[in-house]
Amino acid sequence: MHSQTSVQKFSLMHWWLSSLLVLMVTLGSSSVLAEQAGNKVSPIAVPNPGADLWNEVRQRNAESNGRTQIRGTDSAEFMRVSGEEFRDYRLSLLIPYAPYFLVGMLVLLAATFIVKGRIKIPDGRSGQVIKRFETFDRVVHWYVAILFIFLALTGLLLLLGRYAVLPVFGKESFGLIASACKEGHNLFGPPFLVGIVLMAMRFAAKNIPNMVDVKWLLKAGGAFGGHPQAGYFNAGEKIWFWLVTIIGLGLCVSGLILLFPNFEQGREYLQWALVAHGVGAVVLITLSFGHMYVGSVGMEGSLDSMSTGYVDSNWAKSHHDLWYQEVMQRQSADNPKSS
Amino acid sequence: MARMKFYCDAERCIECNACVTACKNENEVPWGVNRRRVITIKDGEPGERSLSVACMHCSDAPCAAVCPVDCFYTTADGVVLHDKDICIGCGYCFYACPFGAPQFPEDGAFASRGKMDKCTFCAGGPEEDHSAAEHTKYGSNRLAEGKLPLCAEMCSTKALLAGDANVVSDIYRKRVVNRGASVMEWGVGYENGSLRATRGMKGKSSSDS
Repeated sequence: MHSQTSVQKFSLMHWWLSSLLVLMVTLGSSSVLAEQAGNKVSPIAVPNPGADLWNEVRQRNAESNGRTQIRGTDSAEFMRVSGEEFRDYRLSLLIPYAPYFLVGMLVLLAATFIVKGRIKIPDGRSGQVIKRFETFDRVVHWYVAILFIFLALTGLLLLLGRYAVLPVFGKESFGLIASACKEGHNLFGPPFLVGIVLMAMRFAAKNIPNMVDVKWLLKAGGAFGGHPQAGYFNAGEKIWFWLVTIIGLGLCVSGLILLFPNFEQGREYLQWALVAHGVGAVVLITLSFGHMYVGSVGMEGSLDSMSTGYVDSNWAKSHHDLWYQEVMQRQSADNPKSS
Repeated sequence: MARMKFYCDAERCIECNACVTACKNENEVPWGVNRRRVITIKDGEPGERSLSVACMHCSDAPCAAVCPVDCFYTTADGVVLHDKDICIGCGYCFYACPFGAPQFPEDGAFASRGKMDKCTFCAGGPEEDHSAAEHTKYGSNRLAEGKLPLCAEMCSTKALLAGDANVVSDIYRKRVVNRGASVMEWGVGYENGSLRATRGMKGKSSSDS
């Protein structure tokens, strides 16, 4: 048995020796580090052991995942920094810049209308009409269009409403509006998917690009260098079709991921789905303004195709001459007696 | 005014989950929501540590920032609360929170979200203090009675500290100073140096390799 005095002495000696050792180690390692770092101040040679713990918690160079008694997809994660990145993207990128895109497009279209006016049919209307769209085509188009406008409005209210509408109506009233928007948006999302799929199936074959479209694009659709040739759909329409189909499907898929969170998608997937959904939506809405403009005010005679299904033959001759020729050939083949 | 914070001392937490149980019982939390959870890292290995996490009541709360209807508010004590009557159940706060604190009841079809629920620091909600409506929606309001959250009160080892940030950090600082030598002395990592690694007693602790 050690007497108390010798234990004390031993502890004291132990303390001195260990301090000396620490000092030597510190000086030795700091000089090595200083050498490595050149003339910079040497870093702490004895790091705070808590640093390792908190790096592990933050899953920086983590060796293992956490475990918890609580059931849940992300429950075993203490911290997921991507939540902050999501907030950053939303508040610094999406919400500030979306209005610029949307309003900018409207301004651009207004300027185009003021400068160019309504593009008339060359030689005016002939009075003769050609069938362009079947009833099914028109029904599907308007089904998708109306749903799109509804989803766009409700979606934009959810995105920008807090800043644009809430100050006007107050929190309680806007909460009610936003709740209705959210339910409506969620309810009409899947029907929109049905519409997009039907529309894609119906029109995909007519939207395959070819050389005619390349030439059409090189002349910018007639903006300079005379009106280029075009088939049933010109290159601009084909681009719009594929944009709607691809971005629309992307919106639907990301929307479904968000709508049904019960399949154990973690926060990471939901964040990315919402990012894709937001960006895709803003892009598609912006471009849809252009589509709506051309299809109504921008060009004389274009709305007829989707509202009645028939187009004026002069309109067809001017804008879709190859298709017009095909139709004329078919008509003369059917009726060999009429010229 | 006080700024209310939680701090979980990783050295003391023994993963008993008393905080979890106390919270669920006191606040009658909706089905599917887990306001507080205990996470263990390096389970079974040297350096196993547990931490209890619920809402961190951030000074710059990401949940409040992304909410499309702005239903969050911060009380004078720094507690982040929200109004369930305004909440539309969109889920953005859940995406934005690094800790997954805002959660949604899972009793709707296809987990369709109801109103968001989260740790309230036992401070209730915007309803009148101690009213039946407040209790049903948000759980008990202990802060209005001058009490601290039940999770911290129930903690068996006083690992989970809750209260004014200055007081909490003072307590923790004293603990660190008292523990300091055993961990810092040899500059060892947290796996190898702690109260649980009894110095030099080979075979007596699980953190011996």
